[in-house]
Amino acid sequence: MFDINGVYTELPWLYTGLAAYALATVVAIQGVIRVRGGSAGATVNRSYEHFVLGFAAAGVALLAMSLGERWIRIGHGPFVDLFELLMSQLFSLGLIYTLIYWRYPVLRASAVVALPLMWVLGIWVLTLDPVGSPFPPTYYNNWLWVHVGFGKVFLSFCLVGAGIAGVILLRGIERISSWFRQMPADAVLDALAWRFMLLAFIFHSLMLVAGAVWAQDAWGRYWAWDALETSSFLNWLVLGASIHARTTYKIPIRWGAVAIFGIFIFAFLTYFGAPFYSEAAHKGVI
Amino acid sequence: MMIVLRYMASTRFTLAGMALLGVGAALSYDNPVNTPVWVLVVPLVLLAINLLSAILTNARINRRGGLLVFHLGLLGIIILAAIGRLTHMEAHLEIIQGAGFMQDDLMNIRSGPWHSGALDKVMFVQGPYTVDYAPGITRGLTHSHVMVPDGHGGWAQKIVGDDRPLIMEGYRFYTTFNKGFSTTLTWIPDRGSPVTGTVNMPSYPMFEFKQSNSWTPPGGKEINFWLQLKTGLDDKAHWVLDARQARGTLVINSNDRRIELQPGENAVLDGGVLRYEHLSSWMGYKLFYDPTLQWLFITAIIGILGLATHFWRKFAALPIHSASGVKPDWSKGQGNVAVNSGAHVSAAVHKGQNNV
Repeated sequence: MFDINGVYTELPWLYTGLAAYALATVVAIQGVIRVRGGSAGATVNRSYEHFVLGFAAAGVALLAMSLGERWIRIGHGPFVDLFELLMSQLFSLGLIYTLIYWRYPVLRASAVVALPLMWVLGIWVLTLDPVGSPFPPTYYNNWLWVHVGFGKVFLSFCLVGAGIAGVILLRGIERISSWFRQMPADAVLDALAWRFMLLAFIFHSLMLVAGAVWAQDAWGRYWAWDALETSSFLNWLVLGASIHARTTYKIPIRWGAVAIFGIFIFAFLTYFGAPFYSEAAHKGVI
Repeated sequence: MMIVLRYMASTRFTLAGMALLGVGAALSYDNPVNTPVWVLVVPLVLLAINLLSAILTNARINRRGGLLVFHLGLLGIIILAAIGRLTHMEAHLEIIQGAGFMQDDLMNIRSGPWHSGALDKVMFVQGPYTVDYAPGITRGLTHSHVMVPDGHGGWAQKIVGDDRPLIMEGYRFYTTFNKGFSTTLTWIPDRGSPVTGTVNMPSYPMFEFKQSNSWTPPGGKEINFWLQLKTGLDDKAHWVLDARQARGTLVINSNDRRIELQPGENAVLDGGVLRYEHLSSWMGYKLFYDPTLQWLFITAIIGILGLATHFWRKFAALPIHSASGVKPDWSKGQGNVAVNSGAHVSAAVHKGQNNV
């Protein structure tokens, strides 16, 4: 675990950040389990949410330190290899989810779904080699920041939508349904989840436009159907089609929740499958 | 007419078009040579007809400003992308240091049937370039110096490279990884006038150990060249490729004779004398032309802003808290709240359902 120039200084921050996320996850799950015993209208102590919020915010701050340390060590931002892409995504997903958790108490119980989803990334990053990669010449472009930034907001809103959709689906399991009694009815959750998916659609569109501008500057073409471009366009198409279908047909709430979860998985595979498959964020173009 | 338009505007048609476009996109992955462009053109034409019909007949779109702008934006993108493909041009170019751009030097030209740009007005002269390399011969930034007309009868220097193309008359010239060394040679035949030209060696440092080429001078026999380069290349350290700092010995194989030439030296060969004038370099460019680029960008941004406006207008009046029976009062230190039975669902949110 040692670089020729010294230790991987970002790792202690990364590990403690992941530990903070883990604590937030455990406390969130324990909290909703405690809620299940009450009857409708009964007072429930939700003070545990202070701790979830605190641990999640601490995780975000520690991951920010980790990213900063890595940036100083390798000399460039987290844009090239899978290790730093996952680190960066853990930070941005955590940041936006924590802000939403803080701002919208009605959605807090969905952390039981959203935080474990983030843990897929958390476990994955632990299996990767943290050694840095050189920064490709085509990445010295401000549109890269815009493109990646919009992408992060898109995936974060997808995560929020998937968290709410997950609650709707878990409520179908009798033993678990009582965990989410403090959340609104499924119909309301459904409307809220799709609201976040429409927001995700807006940011996905912005991500595609910013990516096309960057690609035009960097590689002399705005679209070339590489692995990531094809997958993200299909993802945009599926999300757009789902929104159209929902506005036109009476899609059962559970089916809608399955669709949202499917879109999130598709987005997840686009972000972390295509780069993993092609080794660089955009295969063959650096 | 309206019946036909309403039929064409149906969401089923939209979903079918999207599904077809999805199949077309999947088939287009990695631009396979055996996939026809029609897998994308057909669904895009269907979706354009569907979009136009919906804009004209669907009150849920044409009476909502934001949604209308978004759908007009989508239609505009399809039309502009089609015009772009019909008028575009792509090509490659290798240009030697000190030489001016000439249309005849373009290779691998692909252009749309309506392409009619002012390529004949493009004028620039290639200057020297440098390329930074990280340890492991990992390519970094390229700085290519070019001279362009300054508009007052003189020349101005520009530095282009990587994500900074040279843009002239709408044509965009991008530096590529393909670049290398060239030798300027003069052939002085036993009879006739001398001829001066250049021989480009393969891309460097990609083909560091294959810096060879051949040339048949007018009236002479084929001459095989090999260029021994001293560029300071070090695969374990940072290094800058700069032809001005490089030294090259030209090795000639002719009639089983091996002759080594330094710049300025001559070799007597069958049929004449070959003079190695000097070492130079060449840069490979990718040329791209599409007159719709900026309009595509503007149309896309306006369309997305339209959708964002629709979202804002629709949901600003329905804050997420309105769906909540829980709003902890953090100022009192405790988040004690009443369990929401789900019975008092916000009517406003209910109303918004299926209408995102």
